[in-house]
Amino acid sequence: MTQKLLGLAGIGAERLHLAWVSSAEAQRFAQVATDTIESVKTQGKFDPGAFALELNAAEMTLAGETLRWMVGKAKTLTTKGDIYGRKWDAEKYESVIHSVLEREYHKNLILCAIKEGCTSVRAIGKKIGLELKRISYLLADMEKMNIVAFQGMENSIPIFAAL
Amino acid sequence: MEEFEPKIVAFLCNWCAYAGADLAGVSRLQYPPNMRTVRVMCSGRVDPVFITKAFKQGCDGVLVSG
Repeated sequence: MTQKLLGLAGIGAERLHLAWVSSAEAQRFAQVATDTIESVKTQGKFDPGAFALELNAAEMTLAGETLRWMVGKAKTLTTKGDIYGRKWDAEKYESVIHSVLEREYHKNLILCAIKEGCTSVRAIGKKIGLELKRISYLLADMEKMNIVAFQGMENSIPIFAAL
Repeated sequence: MEEFEPKIVAFLCNWCAYAGADLAGVSRLQYPPNMRTVRVMCSGRVDPVFITKAFKQGCDGVLVSG
């Protein structure tokens, strides 16, 4: 999931590696270490300054309760079922988590952009490169959740602020 | 220009990969020196936030191994 998010943020899923090595497998560990380093080498240098906004949004998404709750409930929902007794298909649940991940990440990205002083939909779009329609849609949602507030019109452009 | 040497943070489980890394050292297997190891008591201890933090501090890659 973190890999997916890194890919989404443009940081590159290939920068995060996961491997299982047992304590007796020194050879395998050396191999995993070499492979990881080779793979990251092909990715090139990572500049945290250029991705500050994306990293912040990714961190907020991963630390947020929505995704933690969903991942924590995954086992129960796919094996025992929800409170209505419906068992979730593992693949379907995965795809739901993925769409929630994307949505939460985009919301946090918008919030970060607003905090950096982009107040109109157009300015936010310019900063984070997201479709204007998607931003408006998510802003309406964030307004309902009291994350952002509509501040009124300025030259007939709606202005938003983070709460 | 000299070759780019990436900085990699490795979160290793004390009982599995860390012991494996230790054994690799003891048996003198060669592997590149780009890793900075963080020993954790279980790879389940690694929070996704640790990973974003590592990237924020300017590392080029992260390896989680258990």
